[in-house]
Amino acid sequence: MGDVDEVEEVKTSSKPVAKPAPAKKKKPQHWRPWLRAMHRDIGYVAVGLTFVYALSGLAVNHLTDWSDGDASFKTYSITHEMGPLQGEDQAVADELRKRLSISEKPKELYRPVPDELEVLFDKSSLHVNTATGHVVEEGKKPRFILHVANWLHLNRGKKAWKYFADGYAAALLVLAMSGMFMIAGKKGLIGRGAILVALGIAIPVLYVTFSGP
Amino acid sequence: MSRKDHPHESEFAPSMSRRAFVRSATVGTVVIALGGAGYCLAGEEEERKARATNRPDGRPKLPPGQYLLNRIRPMGGQEGDPSPGGWRFQVSGEVEQPFTIDMAELLKMNQVDQTCDVHCVTKWTVLDSKWTGVKLADLAARAKVKPSARHVIFEGFGGYTSNVRLAEALAANVLLAHKYEGQPLARSHGAPARIIVPDLYFWKSTKWITGVRFVTSDKPGYWETRGYHNHADPWKEERYG
Repeated sequence: MGDVDEVEEVKTSSKPVAKPAPAKKKKPQHWRPWLRAMHRDIGYVAVGLTFVYALSGLAVNHLTDWSDGDASFKTYSITHEMGPLQGEDQAVADELRKRLSISEKPKELYRPVPDELEVLFDKSSLHVNTATGHVVEEGKKPRFILHVANWLHLNRGKKAWKYFADGYAAALLVLAMSGMFMIAGKKGLIGRGAILVALGIAIPVLYVTFSGP
Repeated sequence: MSRKDHPHESEFAPSMSRRAFVRSATVGTVVIALGGAGYCLAGEEEERKARATNRPDGRPKLPPGQYLLNRIRPMGGQEGDPSPGGWRFQVSGEVEQPFTIDMAELLKMNQVDQTCDVHCVTKWTVLDSKWTGVKLADLAARAKVKPSARHVIFEGFGGYTSNVRLAEALAANVLLAHKYEGQPLARSHGAPARIIVPDLYFWKSTKWITGVRFVTSDKPGYWETRGYHNHADPWKEERYG
């Protein structure tokens, strides 16, 4: 049909008519799928370290909110009433270890006054009143995950960790840049994207401007 | 009818509408915020009383910007050796008779039981905390401090230092303490001994103390060189330098 119409039009027309320009076909952008794939894969690799740094960052940022001011360790203090404890320092310490199920051998026994005995272990201590049998057991224990996360975040590990941390920082930069372009959207970076990117940049800039060093 | 059977609802349809999500999130945030507010208000009456009560020197028991805790917080730091047997305390600098004492010698000196308030720069205050120890003034008297001394440097484990004006360091309530609330100091509180300077922010009260040095000129310490105030008066809120 189309062919016939075209022929008829040519026949009936007295003047030659320019053919309408064919509609410009949008070039398929082959780079976006690649960008998305790269963003996704780097994102997968970065998940573990993001958790480490985010958890540790939150913990350290709110250091003073931790009940014992330390996000890596938890201090504890337990009171035991053991009844009067008699005998030599070592005998008293052995008795306490037996009754409190402490397998570790003490590093030091110290008697500041006749009725008091200090039993020191590697990470804990027993403060003993031998006359009353009042025993305070105190020390600190590493917090689950946070202890290790902080150790890594604060780069207290071996020097090799510096390279992993640098690599992670570079990966975050790639994620931030590729994130801006990986989905075209209706207006791309001109619409909502631009507002949000500007907001993200404005927050630190304004903070430094009004409250900076 | 299950969701899968529903002809108009795909497997990927959101399980919650946008409006419902926003409503739930708002309600959750308000509930959490109110919970936090309730927690903060819990000690308000006690704090109000503390602000209204004055110390003998006329200053309020609770300095401005502080809130109350029942017990001191450890607040971290590089822990020293808690061994009382291995502990030594050195008095040095602008003194005529420098000396070093161990725990046994410290315990032989005149012991003071002191009740005082302590104020941390992170805004907590503990009222009426009980400490046992030896007055720094007694140790200074034994060392015979020279008239040239103007400041003291408290030296802690791992190179930690804090600086205090001489007159404030020799105040009657400044102790070399080895007990807190009737018990030997806990490891996290500086065992076996620490300094207590109650009228300055608590970072001046060096934990895991190893010595005191009397000096002619001031030398800012660990936190003072990291942006904290050189003097640290809680009633003037001298937190940052």
